[in-house]
Amino acid sequence: MWAYILRRLVQAIITLFIITIVCFILTRLSSDPMAQYANRPGLTAADKERIRHQLGLDRTIPVAWIRWVGLPPETEKKIVDNSGLPIQYINWLGLALQGELGTSFFSKQPVSQLIAERLPLTLLLMATALTITVFIALGLGIVSAVKQYSLTDNIITALSFIGYSMPIFFIALGLMLIFAVQFKAWGLPYLPTGADVWNRRDMTELIRHMILPVSCLVIIQTAGYARYVRSSILEVLSLDYIRTARAKGLTERAVLYKHALRNAALPFITILGLDIPYLLSGAIVTESVYAWPGMGRLFWEYAQRGDFPVVLGVLLVVSAAVVVFSILTDLVYTFIDPRIRLG
Amino acid sequence: MKRYMYTLFSLVILASLLLTACAPKTPAPATAAPATQPPIAPPATEVPPMPKIVTGGWTQEPDSIVPYYTVMSYAWWIAQLTLVGLAEWDENGAYVPELAAEIPSVENGGVSPDGLTITWKLRPGLKWSDGAPLTSKDVKFTWESIVNPLNASTIKAGYDQIESITTPDDLTVVIKFMSLYPPWQTLFAQGPNSAGSILPAHILEGQTGLENHPYIHWPTVASGPFVITEWVAGDYMTLLPNANFYKGRPIIDQINIKFIPDPETALAALQTGDIDWYPDFSESDISTVGALEPNVHLLVVPGSDFEHYFFNLGVTAGVKDAGDNLIANSASDQDGFCPFKDVRVRKAITLGIDRETIVEALLEGKTIVPATQWPNSFWTNTSLQSDAFNPEEAKRLLDEAGYTDKDGDGIREGMCGGKEVKLSFNFETTTKQIRVDIALAAQSDLRKIGVEFKPIHTPAGTFFGGYGDGGPLATGKYDMAGYTTGFYPDPYPFGGDWLCNAPSVNNPGGANPYHYCDPQLVKLFEAVNVTADPAARKVAIDAVQKYIFDNYLVVMMYARANVYGYVDRFVPGPFGFYSNMNWNAEVWDVKSP
Repeated sequence: MWAYILRRLVQAIITLFIITIVCFILTRLSSDPMAQYANRPGLTAADKERIRHQLGLDRTIPVAWIRWVGLPPETEKKIVDNSGLPIQYINWLGLALQGELGTSFFSKQPVSQLIAERLPLTLLLMATALTITVFIALGLGIVSAVKQYSLTDNIITALSFIGYSMPIFFIALGLMLIFAVQFKAWGLPYLPTGADVWNRRDMTELIRHMILPVSCLVIIQTAGYARYVRSSILEVLSLDYIRTARAKGLTERAVLYKHALRNAALPFITILGLDIPYLLSGAIVTESVYAWPGMGRLFWEYAQRGDFPVVLGVLLVVSAAVVVFSILTDLVYTFIDPRIRLG
Repeated sequence: MKRYMYTLFSLVILASLLLTACAPKTPAPATAAPATQPPIAPPATEVPPMPKIVTGGWTQEPDSIVPYYTVMSYAWWIAQLTLVGLAEWDENGAYVPELAAEIPSVENGGVSPDGLTITWKLRPGLKWSDGAPLTSKDVKFTWESIVNPLNASTIKAGYDQIESITTPDDLTVVIKFMSLYPPWQTLFAQGPNSAGSILPAHILEGQTGLENHPYIHWPTVASGPFVITEWVAGDYMTLLPNANFYKGRPIIDQINIKFIPDPETALAALQTGDIDWYPDFSESDISTVGALEPNVHLLVVPGSDFEHYFFNLGVTAGVKDAGDNLIANSASDQDGFCPFKDVRVRKAITLGIDRETIVEALLEGKTIVPATQWPNSFWTNTSLQSDAFNPEEAKRLLDEAGYTDKDGDGIREGMCGGKEVKLSFNFETTTKQIRVDIALAAQSDLRKIGVEFKPIHTPAGTFFGGYGDGGPLATGKYDMAGYTTGFYPDPYPFGGDWLCNAPSVNNPGGANPYHYCDPQLVKLFEAVNVTADPAARKVAIDAVQKYIFDNYLVVMMYARANVYGYVDRFVPGPFGFYSNMNWNAEVWDVKSP
């Protein structure tokens, strides 16, 4: 077990190392931060050249990557010459583990600070939405599976497909138009449209601001999860040991909850485990429409401006979470299913 | 499994709530400034029943506030509210004093006869929001901090032309330029398009690396009508009145600015009253916002920015001056589309696009088709009128230039540079929807005169990419292109677009997107810069405009409009393009319920 964990951790470090290189190159090639300065009044060509140098955009990609991962400038030559790599890698790892993710090109603030400002509200939004989603999806999935091909199953299936295929911005704006704009027009209590979510640190206001974005996320996410639960349960219900359980005279309720659900949960746990890291990445569209100050907006707004350090910082945090949670998911299997032995 | 999930999610939510409660929130400004305290209540007899609070919605959050370290418009807007300059522009675009007592002129002795020395006089009794005196020393410090190589200021243009600043007394600032600097009015003048805030020496003096100083990100001590007292990243910002503002305490008790990235959300927020104004609608939102009258008012302010189409006029051989010498940086990497070298073709394309109808149909007729690149400003050559749509004349000009449809495919062909060339060319621009729509309209119009106009929409980051990144504008890999720019508040620093400075393999930093070098035009531009007298410069820039107009070097599409929506209860001051709406926030008010 411990050998397995150690092996997975080593793999994770190598994976993350490769991710830093891939993300760095892709981000650098995707846009040009200097476009922000293209038509700004008051900037001469000399200003632009100076800014390009200040931002390090005149460096080659390998040198820029070295700078980004936090190695001291004097190591640039060594790295380029391909010598002393292990020591420098350890140096970098040390800095990365300390949360040194660089400084934003434009706001000049540490990326770790920008992420720390946005992460709590994103976690709150996404975790609430995911929790509600899981409970609703479990309920709908179970009902749908137990009453397969019934009217209830067909309605749930139809609604799931509608929810799954609906563009999220449409749902987000639709909910806003109904529960904010129209409710106000009808003289009813109405929900806020967005922004100012954390004003005066008022919990009631925070919850009011959460209702629409959480609902939006739940509508989108529930459909997929409910389908997973339904198909998993149906698969398990057709197995011999369920027949055996029924033959023993167990009630249908006991068969379902004590025997079927536990085994049916494995694929669900896998999907859930892989989705939990995205709690950190936020939801770009939902956060933008509801002006929720989360990680999704942070990423999107800075990506639009070509602010590489912030984009890379967010990518690195999310990538690390994906790697860590995939290990945790594997470990959780052993608790959920005694048949699985890691080693 | 259920227990596991229940525990897991409970922990995640609990952790989120705890993290949220402990979220890093930049502390409120540590200043004794009266303005950073809750608004001071006037005597009981004058107390309004409710505090006057207004809330704006902005698309983006400023990255920093001090304008020398950022190029974000939103930062410069906030600077108008908090960190003012010696002068500013009013709603009519007139240059008016702010911290200064008067605008320097030759008549009042503020401008020396040789134009090299400008003397500003400050208003007496100026104070920062923390009560410290605001003096000439602050102006001198501002300049020193901008040009100090140990500070990574973004904008140095003009400030680096100053030889020295002396301060004979607390109210006098004597600026001596190294050589004549005609656009001196843009220095130390804060506007939506001009970085000119005065910085507090008593806070920043003696420090370097100012780009990382907390004050640059969040100025806690202000000279403008308001002070930022709270700023929750990505969410909102709160500004309270500065009781030490030179015009006195503003009428409004509190300004909130919410950061709302989606205009659709802003539209909904205006309707629910969550915000009182939104300054970031695009021209395509004009009809939507207009439909919300009378609860939400629409205001469209045509500006000095303009959307223009232009021709690649580059030549690989370069251009020679009158003495038959090759002009430096006049050669492009490749020749532009050959037929564009004929003014008749350029004029035909200009006459062949129905720009008035485009403005009417796609921009609700709320802006204008300007004649020149200096629209809606003091510098506009008002004697020039934009050409009307005239496809028949366009066809005649193309016939005259030798381009006719010989093969019956609807596209004209003709001889150019010794080869037969089809009047079929690419048009590069960005992916913005309004540009896509207008390009389609232009394509349809030009097809009717036998010209094939093929739009290519490239993401802005690529389109405006530098020479080394292969950007089409910089490398000259385009036939015709279009985008928005503006030459203001002064025409001089940005006239560089037309100077013989084309980007090329030998000059990758070149700043002439037209790849055009015309010694005669350069000479006309030079005439703009031989005097510091605005009236004389106006005559010179009029001649520049006439030359560009007569030679059909660009197709002026429309003056970009600033589109605002604001609720009925909010009473802002007068708006202008040069001033935006923030220049006089001290007079903003709200209607009584």
